[in-house]
Order: sequence, then C-alpha cells, then structure tokens
Amino acid sequence: MSRVVRIAAGLVVAAAAVALVLVLPYWLSDARAAEFARAGCFFIAILGLNLLTGYTGQISLGHGALMAVGAYTTAILTANHGFRDLWTIPLAGLVAMGAGFLLGLPARRLSGLYLALATFAFAVAMPALLKRFSGLTGGSQGINLFDKALSRSTGALGPVHVLGRTVATNDFLYYLTWGIGLVLAAAAWVLVRGRVGRAFRAVRDSEVAAASSGINTGFYKMLAFGISGFYAGVGGSLFVLVSNWFVSPTTFAFDKSLLLVVGAVVGGLGSLAGVALGALFIEFVPSWAGNVSNAPGAPSVFFGAAIVLVMILLPSGLGGVLRKLTEPLTTRLYTR
Amino acid sequence: MGKSRVLFGVLGALVAVAAASAGESATPGVTAKQILIGGTTPLSGPASAYAAVAKGADAYFKYVNDHGGVFGRSIKYKYVDDAYDPSQTIQKVRELVQNDKVFAIYNTLGTEQNLAVRSYLNQLKVPQLLVASGASTWGSDHKKYPWTIGYQPSYKGEATLYGRYIAKAKPRARIGVLYQNDDYGKELVAGLQRGLGKKAKLIVSKQGYDVTDTDVKSQIARLKSKRANTLMVFATPKFAIQSYSSARVLGWHPLVFVNVVASASNTMTIASLASSKRQTEGSISLAFLKDPINPRWANDKAVKLFRTILKKYNGGEGLTDYYNIYGMSSAFTLVDALKHAGKSPTRASVMRAVTHLNERNNPFVLPGIVVRTTSTDHFPIAQARLQRYHNGHWVYFGLLVRVG
Amino acid sequence: MVVAADWAGVAQQVVAGLSSGGTYATLAVALVLIYRATGVVNFAQGELAMFSTFVAWTLTQHGFSYWPAFALTVAASFGGGIVLERVVIRPVERASVLTVAIVTIGLFFVVNGAAFWIWSPQVKSMPNAFSTRPIRIAGVAFSISDLGIIGVSLLAVLLLWFFFRFTKLGLAMRAAALNPESSRLTGIRVSWMIALGWGLATALGAVAGLMAAPPLGSFDQNFMQPILLYAFAGAVLGGIDSALGAVVGSLALGVFLNLLGTYVSWVGTDLRQAAALAVILGVLLVRPAGLFGEALVRRV
Repeated sequence: MSRVVRIAAGLVVAAAAVALVLVLPYWLSDARAAEFARAGCFFIAILGLNLLTGYTGQISLGHGALMAVGAYTTAILTANHGFRDLWTIPLAGLVAMGAGFLLGLPARRLSGLYLALATFAFAVAMPALLKRFSGLTGGSQGINLFDKALSRSTGALGPVHVLGRTVATNDFLYYLTWGIGLVLAAAAWVLVRGRVGRAFRAVRDSEVAAASSGINTGFYKMLAFGISGFYAGVGGSLFVLVSNWFVSPTTFAFDKSLLLVVGAVVGGLGSLAGVALGALFIEFVPSWAGNVSNAPGAPSVFFGAAIVLVMILLPSGLGGVLRKLTEPLTTRLYTR
Repeated sequence: MGKSRVLFGVLGALVAVAAASAGESATPGVTAKQILIGGTTPLSGPASAYAAVAKGADAYFKYVNDHGGVFGRSIKYKYVDDAYDPSQTIQKVRELVQNDKVFAIYNTLGTEQNLAVRSYLNQLKVPQLLVASGASTWGSDHKKYPWTIGYQPSYKGEATLYGRYIAKAKPRARIGVLYQNDDYGKELVAGLQRGLGKKAKLIVSKQGYDVTDTDVKSQIARLKSKRANTLMVFATPKFAIQSYSSARVLGWHPLVFVNVVASASNTMTIASLASSKRQTEGSISLAFLKDPINPRWANDKAVKLFRTILKKYNGGEGLTDYYNIYGMSSAFTLVDALKHAGKSPTRASVMRAVTHLNERNNPFVLPGIVVRTTSTDHFPIAQARLQRYHNGHWVYFGLLVRVG
Repeated sequence: MVVAADWAGVAQQVVAGLSSGGTYATLAVALVLIYRATGVVNFAQGELAMFSTFVAWTLTQHGFSYWPAFALTVAASFGGGIVLERVVIRPVERASVLTVAIVTIGLFFVVNGAAFWIWSPQVKSMPNAFSTRPIRIAGVAFSISDLGIIGVSLLAVLLLWFFFRFTKLGLAMRAAALNPESSRLTGIRVSWMIALGWGLATALGAVAGLMAAPPLGSFDQNFMQPILLYAFAGAVLGGIDSALGAVVGSLALGVFLNLLGTYVSWVGTDLRQAAALAVILGVLLVRPAGLFGEALVRRV
C-alpha cells in the first residue's frame, strides 16, 4: 500500500513540477525569463553536485571549473568546428564527465578537508589554464559566439522557430534549460533509487562499513565525480547560451564553485526539490540584494546575511522545509 | 550558403530589433527632455578603484544639467556594475540596449569588457562612445567597427614615446620590463619595442605577472639580477607600488618609467611611503590630464571647478582621485559631441560628431591639447607631455608631443 | 625548460619566498586554530583579517602610529571574534560541518561587502611595522621587515604553544576540541571554549593582515584573498592540525612558489598558484596527514 502511495505521490509532484515549468513564462517578463534560464543552468549543475556531496558525501569546491569545461567545449566546437550550439550540449557533458573522473582520481585517497583543497586547486587553476592555452580557448578575451558563429547560435538573431511556433529567445532558453533540467532530474531520481544510489549513500554514511560489505568505494567515488561532472558540463554549456553566447576565463572564476556549494547546501542536500530552491536562491537573492541598495559592497552584505540566516534558521536547507511541510501529508497517507 | 545567409540573418535581426524598438520615437533614449546613455563600470571586484571614472562623469553631467543641459535636454547617465567580468558586461550592456533603450553606450571601462560587446553594438548600430581603455584597437579598427571610439592616448602610443625617448636620451640603458600578462600589458610592451626600433635589444628582460598574484617580488628580483638600470612599470597601481617597494628592499635604484594607469599623484605618494623618496625620485611618466593633487594646478580654474562639482554632486568624495577628473574630461567631450549632434540628435549624428571633434576648450586636459578626431584619425586624445617625479610631485618637461 | 640559475639569484628568490611565506604563515595558524577547535575551515578568516587591517588603517589616519594601532586592533579583533562566534556560529554549533562551512562562506560575503561599503575602493597604504632598510648578507638583500614578519609568526606560534601547554585555560580548550562530551562532564563550558578559539583566531588574523599590508605597499579590500588561498594550502601541507606545521608549510610554500615561477619557464606567473597547489596535492597523496600532521587511524 505504502509503496503505491509513494509512487503516486512522486508522480503527482513530478507532474506539478512539469506543469509549473511549462506555464511560468506566461507570467514572466523577458528579462525575468533570462534570469530563470540562468537559474536553470545552476539547477542542473547543483543536481550533479547534490549527487556528489549530498548522496555520496564527497565535498567539491571545484564544480565551477567543471562547468567551465562544459562551457568551453560548447564554445570551441561551435566557434571553430562548425557545430550548431545545441548539438554540443551532450558533448560538453561528456567532456566534463571525463574531467570529473580525473578530478575523482585523487578523491579516492583524500577526504574531507584534503579533498576540499584538491577540488579548490582545480577551481583556482582553471582560469589560469584557460588563459594559458589561448590558442584553443581564445585566452583572456574569451570566445564570443555572437561574433564568430552567429548563424550557429540558436536564438541569438531573434525569435526561435520550434515545432511550428515562434518563441522569444529568452523564453526558448528558459524552456531549454529547465526542460533539460527536468529530464536530468528524473535521471538522477532513478539513479538515486537504484543500486548505484544505494552504493553512494553507503559510501557517504560510512566508508569503512561500505568497504567491509564489499563495495568498491574508490570506484563509486570516481563515478560520483564523473556523473556530477556530466551535469556540471551540461549546466556550463547551457550557461554560455544563456550568457549571450560568450565565455571567458573569468566567467567561471572560483566564486562560481563557491556559489554552487552554497546553492547545494542552502537548498538542502539529499533532496531533489531543494536543488531547485538552491538554484533560485543563488540566482535571485544577489540581484534582489542589488535592488535594495546599489552602494558598493551592499549587495554582498545582504546576500551573505541571507545565507547565514537561512543556515541558522533552516539548518536542513530550504528543501528540508519543503519536506517538513509535505511530511504530515504523506504520513497521514501512510498511517491508515 | 555561409556568408550571404549570415548577412541575411543579421539584416533580419536588425529589422526585427529596429521594429521592436521603433516604439515611440525613432531615436531610442532621446525624448524632449532627456537623453539616456548607459555604460558599465567595475563598481565591485578587482578593478573597483576605477569606478570613479563613471562617478566623475556622472557628477559632471549633473552639473551640466543644472546649467540648462544640452538643447534643453538633461543627460541621464545610467552606469551599472559589471565587476570587471566581460560576461557580466555583455549581460548588462544588452539590458541597457534592449530594456532601457539607451541612446548610446558610453564610458564603459576595460579592454576585454569592451571587446566583448563591440560587435554586438556595431551590428545593432548602437554607438560605443569614449571607451575607457587605452587599447589602440578602438582607433585603429575603426573602419571595421565604425560605431566604436576610444578616448585616452593608446597604450601602444604611450610606450612608443618612452621607447623613442630612451633610444635618444639613454642609448646605453639596460631595460627591464615588468608587465601585466594580458592585452593591456602586452600592448605596452609592443609599443616599447616599436619606439626603441633598432635599439630594441636594450631590453634585457621582460617579466610578466598575473592580476591574481599577491606580489611581484620575484619578478623585480629577476629584473635586477639581469643588471637592468632602467625599469618599465607596465602595471596597475597596486603592482606599480610594489615594484618600488620591492626594488628598494633589493637596494636597486633604476630609472623608472611608470605607465599612465599607475602614475596618478596619490599612487606615487603611496609608492614613496612604501619605498622611499629616493626610490620614486626621477620616475618618468606621461600626462594628458590635470592631476588634481599636483600643486601646479592648485589654483587652476578647472581643478577648482572639479572640486566644486564633486562637493555638490558627489558628496565631496574623491577630491584626490585622478579617475574622477578623467571622468569629467570624458563627460565634457561627450557634451561637446552632443552639442554638435544637432537639436534632434540621432545615433548617426552623434557618431558623426564624435568622429569630427575639434575641441580646444576642454578645461581638464593639459593646456594645448586639442581633443580631435578626423576621418583618418580616430584617437581623440593623441597628445601628452612627459613628466618627471621630483620632490614628491610631477613636473612636466619637454614639449607637448604626439602619442601614437 | 628550466632556466639556468645563478646561485645569488636563487638565494634572493628563496629570501623573497620566505618573506611572502611569512605573511601566509600567521593566517595559516589562525586557520589551524579554528579547525582544531571546531573542525571547520573558516572561509571568512582572510576577510576578517582584512577588516581588522582597515580598522587599524583608520586609526592610523586619526593620529595613531603603527604599534598602538596594532595593539588596539588586535584586542578589538579578539573581542569581535568572540562576538561573531556567539552570534553567528553558536546557533549552528550542532549542525553538520558543511552547514557551518556555508555559514563562514556567508560571512565572507558579508565582511567583504561591509569593507567596500564602509571604506572607499581607492588603494590605501599602511605604515611599515619594521624598518624597510635593506641589509645585505653575502650578496643577498633582504630587510628587517622580512625578518620581523617571519619572527612575528613564529612568536605567535610560540605564544599559542605556551598557552595551550601550560595554562589551565589552554588545557580546557584542547580538551573541548578533542572530546567535547567528556569535557562537558568535567565542567568545561565547551561552547565558550569555541568562542575563545574564534577570538584568538580573529586576533591572529588581525596580526596576519597587519603584517601583510605594509610590505605590499598598498592594499585594498581584496588583498587577503590570495593570501587566504596560500595560507590554506600551507596549513594543509604542514598538517592541518599542527600550528608549527602551518608555519613551516607556509614558508616552504612561499619559497616553492617563487622558485617555480621564476625558474620553470613553462609555468610562468599565471600558473604558479595552480602548480603550487598541484604539488601540495602530490604531497598529500603520499602523506595524507601533511608534513607534521598526525595520521588519523580509523577504528572500525
């Protein structure tokens, strides 16, 4: 009985989410739609980070750099190799996945603070590496698809024609990011409920116990890094499109990695709904803060204060609140 | 395929954008009472010290507005923060153009930042006026990007001047170069080599640094170890100051050439405090604006006006800030261009005005400098004077020279 | 690939590296302090140090000379650190380490923003702590200032060691950090021990900032960020639970950074940071507890 109820509840939630995503743009201005599209990119990246940190217990301060890998893959393929930008998205994910695996290699031996430093190093090195290999990456000037590959940048020229309808550019980007986001969220949901997810959680809860019960913790750690890398890469790739088809080494400076972790924890680790809230938090709160006061430094103060307040008042994150709200609902459905 | 498709697409986009922005008036940003211009400035982040470039200009516009504006219109200057990140510059500039519908983009700061939006603005035929960056591309690539124009003397021109001076006056120099490892620094190096000409081998070592470095101690040590007796500081203020202090610790007293970006009087004062009076004595740089701290201009009308304006419209802040006076000078030139753009300015007319400047009365530039552009010369300020640091302030020497 | 070196030049670079490393060392010790007390890396440590430095600067603008301003600021930072811990950290004391880490990230934004809000972004300079007159020994030049900076960080470690080893309060703090449950049973107010730890660390941070600012020549609101990065790396290299290790690790890092950037031409200046961090990781892979740290033995 309870299993059927749980699945039904899950489907209802999923349907509601899809409906919300479909309908929201009607109430959004064009500029808002662009902001939501950017939040969508963060949503995807944080989905991956959540799998890594929330479900597998591995800290990463380097996911901004993995987004950069995806972003530059898209930029380079579109600018220099004649790809249409949309087709590069899965490729960007794959390349970032590879980078994620590489990042996961030291993860097998390191944990906690040391892993934080390792991923931190990756995040710090990325802008410098991007500048250094300027033949490939365009150096500090970055890659401007609007200049170099206008015809292959979907939506850069004006409204997009899709399935017989004409959609404004920012609305199109919104649907693109959240659409891909929902699909990837569903994939993550399936993953988490399967054997891989159980192995991840085992590694998180007690590496020693997991190892003793025959789980190859090193392999699963690397896998978590790889999968979360794929997500970050897709998020980064979409970020290029949403950021006016431009990327430069400073686009994904260390602060993006930090912001992703903030988004993941504020959203509430281990909860897929929280991920969306976390992504919206890191996208919108800084700009709201800027609206309150434009004085230099003031937006930072408000944003930081918001982070501190949320963590103090809601230690299990925004998603935790969501769960608490819906818990009575589902418990009542359980206990009959 | 290919090119004609792109052209068609671009034209289509232009029609779409023009149609979308047709709205009320034919010229976006211009109403009977107001001209709206926009731009980005690093109000936060690693380059926030340059924010005064926008603040100074804004204060000057407010002053002009209180004195009748331009043909009865007040100038509204909307400047927003891009944190010196080109990705944000693109975002904000698009918002200014598409949402705020500004008449022109003005005084946007940074080389990479302006490069990122140049084609976009040129494709949409939105003027990119008086770019706050000394990269020579704003002037030299004007044919390709006719809607873009710079303002200050080019970095390449500045360093060429230093090179020529050294080649003539110090033919036995051993030159060490400290440069910022980006387009700005590299352009200065290229200019120096050009100015030295056949004497380019006087350069014994070039040491680059990255903006994210904490200090340049090791670069300075290396330059000294090559027995350089002349040091070119192609760096931003923070690192320029360090060059002096690191050199002093090493007991090294080269002849220093410090680029305009880092030679403002208050920067030099800090450099002297951080090293010693002897260390900064004799340093050479270039000047094209009246530095507000220089005692030479203490009673100058323009500097007095500068102070009055800042007191009234900027809360009295930034009276010693060189970037504020840069902003005012730039704003003066923009007002000049708007006046010549006619009673019903259009984007095309302001562009024509700004490429046909002949401004002899800009009070903020050094006497004798004419802010001029022609169909073949797209560098508004192309004259400067050499100056030498003596007893704690800059003293001009030599004549007004062409920079370029 | 490796440029041929002259030995005086190398020695000079080593000295330059030790001098830079000295500025990282004091901050590294502050990081270690909070880590040992709470198990958390305080992301805001650098910004707090920066804020303290600005406060000291304001004092110097109002007639105080360096050392009086220094003393006042360090004392105020001690108090400020305690207040901060009580207000911001205590509420999340029982939450996960990650939660506390995020709170410190939030603090990073608040303190950095506040510094921009309160003080203008124009570069400022700090009077020197020690004389910067150059001294030459065997063809290598350095200044009393360099020695002073290294000396101060060693002194800080010494004082801390003395405090933890020989005073009752220090013993109580160590107990609280090692085993909070048992400590409570013996009457130690664990919560206040943590607050004290924050106070000490913030005071140390103030010292770090005040040591770092003068040799830089000028400073602005972002000046501690690269230093935090190196302090973190140096602390981890030395073994995150060892204060002496933090100092040695930071000094070694400073020297290594300089030599790497100068003599390995492929690395150059922009990849120095990345290369240094990569090497530290290499060390960690071989010796996961860092040079001086205690290897954690996991009991099953």
